[in-house]
Amino acid sequence: MVVGDLAQEVDVLVIGAGPGGYVAAIRAAQLGKNVTIVDKGALGGVCLNRGCIPSKAMISAAERYTHIKEASDVGIEVSGDVKVNMPKLVEWKNGVVKKLTGGVKSLLKGNKVEIVSGEAYFSGPNSVRVSNDESAQTYKFNDVIIATGSRPAELKVLPFDGKRILSSTDALNLQEVPERLVVVGGGYIGLELGTAYAKLGAEVTILEGTKSLLPGTDPSLTKMVTRKLKKLGVTVVTEAMVQGGEVNGDEVTVRASVKGEEKTYTGDYCLVSVGRTPNTDELGLDIAGVELDERGFIKIDNQCRTNVDHIYAIGDCAGGALLAHKASYEAKVAAEVISGQNSVIDYQAMPFVIFSDPEIAYTGLTESEAKEEGYDPVVSRFAFQANGRALSMNAADGFVQVVADKETKQLLGVQIVGPEASTLIAEAVFAIEMGANAEDLALTIHAHPTLPETLMEAAEGVFGNAIHMVNKR
Amino acid sequence: KQKVLAAPSTRRLARELGVELSEVKGTGDHGRVTDEDVRRHLETLHT
Repeated sequence: MVVGDLAQEVDVLVIGAGPGGYVAAIRAAQLGKNVTIVDKGALGGVCLNRGCIPSKAMISAAERYTHIKEASDVGIEVSGDVKVNMPKLVEWKNGVVKKLTGGVKSLLKGNKVEIVSGEAYFSGPNSVRVSNDESAQTYKFNDVIIATGSRPAELKVLPFDGKRILSSTDALNLQEVPERLVVVGGGYIGLELGTAYAKLGAEVTILEGTKSLLPGTDPSLTKMVTRKLKKLGVTVVTEAMVQGGEVNGDEVTVRASVKGEEKTYTGDYCLVSVGRTPNTDELGLDIAGVELDERGFIKIDNQCRTNVDHIYAIGDCAGGALLAHKASYEAKVAAEVISGQNSVIDYQAMPFVIFSDPEIAYTGLTESEAKEEGYDPVVSRFAFQANGRALSMNAADGFVQVVADKETKQLLGVQIVGPEASTLIAEAVFAIEMGANAEDLALTIHAHPTLPETLMEAAEGVFGNAIHMVNKR
Repeated sequence: KQKVLAAPSTRRLARELGVELSEVKGTGDHGRVTDEDVRRHLETLHT
């Protein structure tokens, strides 16, 4: 018998160290469980290594470059060349990532979580075999949390080659700014990276299959973004169905049928961002008896439990909104349930954020969703043009919109497009969680001059008494 | 429509005490359920 055949026994095994997995491991350890976490790659998962963090670092760098180029608008004259050093930019971004993944490692260690590197495969409902280049080891567990995340979905007609046909991961590591970049897919990932590269100097074309950018997002929010894209020189082609493409030397040509017409688009690179696929296909889930839905996501109940009692799933692999904060939230629920607490997935408002230009953020119900749910909604919109801070930042495009119930004035949803929308949405999420009404928001003193004042004023607008706009009567 | 008006901590308290929030009579504005309401409801269940 080989040594590796002796199974190690653990309390809780967590598969995957992304924002779901590592948070689950820490919370379970906080509650006194003996926890082992397995990951085949770097700690921090997609979010830290090739998602949220690196993309936001690139977006920030691109924005800074734009600010320098446009500094003369506010009377700052920059003489000499302002250049983008892409290898240095990528190196800086990698440094940010390294700092954070290092942080995850010390948090896991500080909580006495055992870290194992390797690929996990179920060998039964209570055991997993973890293998890496050097060895293989079987782990027996009482409970397991599956947090294997997702990966970029591939287009069959335009498969990734990692050189010219790029996934979002590849696009975050380019050593040069493309002269021309074709983006297939106008969802938030394509839009965010496309905008960043456009700001860094690329001529960007976005091909979107549906009728508008950001399908699923309120069109009133995307209108402002589309206008800015045009200003940036980005070409947006909607109703473009990609048929295929060819790489010829240093170029890639994408063929698409646009409203029935055959067209071609050529770039130095093509980024394919058409969605994400759950990592549930190479885990041996059938051996464990875990059920998937028709799209390959693991089915869970409101306590993150799969159809097998002691097997839990969280984050992207369990479907729903593929968001890091949703994964981390579920992680705590799963870890607490395993530790004997009666936690459930129970939230009133999920924040959605898109780091477009300007940023989009929303939570709760839109006006039409509120109507569908039987409310009689009132909508109040306040423009950043009327906010002193936004004007002083030279970033006054956009608005804050509050949706409230007409009778009780209860806050139902908030939609924002504008500067720091990603930050502003937090107050709205909290207000909705607390069951606040528009008056509660209006009666809260907001510091002046700050962007959050727009929320207070939009809330006052619900009663027709906002100060810095003429109210509709 | 909104199920029950209650803060996240109140919703968690109700779960911990095994109280069904929708059965609790809220005494706050617009029927908002407070921690006190949850505890009072629990007492009525036990008497």
